[in-house]
Amino acid sequence: MILVVNLLMLIVVLAPVVIVVWMSFTPTAMFVLPVTQLSLRWYREALSYPGFVDAFALSFELAALAAAVTVGLSFCAAYGLVRYRPRGQATLRAFFTAPLLVSAVVFGVAMLQFVNRFGLYNRFAGLVIAHVILVVPFAMRSLEATISAVPEELEWAAMILGRSRFATLLRITLPLCARGLVTAFLFCFLLSFSEVTTTIFMTGPGLQTLPVRIYTYMSDRIDPTVAAVSALVVLVSVAILVILNLLGGLRRLTSR
Amino acid sequence: MTGLSSVANNRAIAPWLFSGPLLLVMGFGFIWPLLQALANSFHPNTPQGIDFTQWTLHNYSRLVDPFYGEILVRTLRISFLVTAITAVLAYPVALFIVRLTPRAQSLFILAYISPWLVNTVVKALGWTLLLRTNGVVNTVLRQFDLITVPLKLMINEIGVVIALVPGHFMFVLLPLWAALSGLDPALSWAAGTLGARPSAVFWRVLLPLTLPAFIAGLVINFIMNMTAFAIPMFLGGTRTMVASMLAYQINLISLDWPLGGSLALALLVCTLALVWAGQRAALLVVTGGRSPP
Repeated sequence: MILVVNLLMLIVVLAPVVIVVWMSFTPTAMFVLPVTQLSLRWYREALSYPGFVDAFALSFELAALAAAVTVGLSFCAAYGLVRYRPRGQATLRAFFTAPLLVSAVVFGVAMLQFVNRFGLYNRFAGLVIAHVILVVPFAMRSLEATISAVPEELEWAAMILGRSRFATLLRITLPLCARGLVTAFLFCFLLSFSEVTTTIFMTGPGLQTLPVRIYTYMSDRIDPTVAAVSALVVLVSVAILVILNLLGGLRRLTSR
Repeated sequence: MTGLSSVANNRAIAPWLFSGPLLLVMGFGFIWPLLQALANSFHPNTPQGIDFTQWTLHNYSRLVDPFYGEILVRTLRISFLVTAITAVLAYPVALFIVRLTPRAQSLFILAYISPWLVNTVVKALGWTLLLRTNGVVNTVLRQFDLITVPLKLMINEIGVVIALVPGHFMFVLLPLWAALSGLDPALSWAAGTLGARPSAVFWRVLLPLTLPAFIAGLVINFIMNMTAFAIPMFLGGTRTMVASMLAYQINLISLDWPLGGSLALALLVCTLALVWAGQRAALLVVTGGRSPP
């Protein structure tokens, strides 16, 4: 019984993603079952539609920049928390994970009103700020674990031998955290790349990330072209997930 | 470098030096926007824009309007139903997974969380292809002559619930799985040797011990349901409007930011109250509820 529930649940969880990929290979303009022939026709269609190509480029740049900024800032902050254990560290930690408690819709509304005040509406910079805030909690969690895993004795040894704390940080701690940094970067990239709700509140027609572009396209019509683009998005997500899993990062991110 | 080093060794200043940049960014990009929306919500909206010279509570009293009330009740009803279904399904799945080998466990967990990392619009598309009148589910059911008239599975609350249950399932599954795998296997075994049947082991040993994690997961699940956007939009349609779609409409179509701000803050207060209540409940379970009823 317990096995049946599990398998059913697994099917239901994976079904929407699988069906999109499957349907994207349909040769006809309609989604007709069963799909007997496979065709790449709609991929050609999707890749020649400038709206999707531009949006893909924008999403990629945005995710890369937001992830890089977040990992940089969070690494410093996590180092400060883990190595100095300052007074009020619990409050700081709670503050850095606070964006998790604010739902994407609420944050989107706040961001819309904020970016308009600063003339950042429909601007790349506004999106970067929003995406950084959204992924900081995840970066902080994984980087704190990463830094805690580096034996402090190694840093002491370097400092006793005459290195300054900054040199130690750069030459000892940072290289030892390389794997954790890559993991955090990829995870942040993935979260930013698939963010929809907050972004929808902040962008007009001129500056649409790929998920928002798919959203507006789908509001208009549903055809295999949008399934093909969605399948490409799934491909990117799955590729990053596989790398994350190989790096052993998923377990750390999901436990606790 | 020596100057910097002495600062870096000062335990009072150094942590702020390291945390400072992130604190500044979050102050600017997180706290300020929320305060901005809060401030906007206390000013009247005029055709010329927000009138910052006047203060009012009017935006909050407008939220009590029956039209908005209906939307709020629908949002609560859908969210509650999804969380209830998730609550029933989560234990069987989690109990199944913890009994597997570590390698199989991580594979299953990966399978359950991976859809979460694909954006919700793609999942909404998938559910649309599955549930619409000539979609996969209806086609298959008709092929096997189980139905003659296609079932209406979307553009209603049923569609939203069907798509949200798996969409937010992992927020309960993950904490529950972590809590269950943290338990000493000897506990179940000991209860068994003392004569407890498997059902008694579950109700009187496993459930009470994992209830805090379970409750925490359900609270997050409920919050995610309350504020889901793309799934209700495509599976529910505008006739099944929920709070997040209302927020979109007020802020981006009516452009009434004071009202939109008050709605967003009301949602935020509800969420935080729920988190707090959930933590209280979990704490009660840990301290006082250990003896079974």
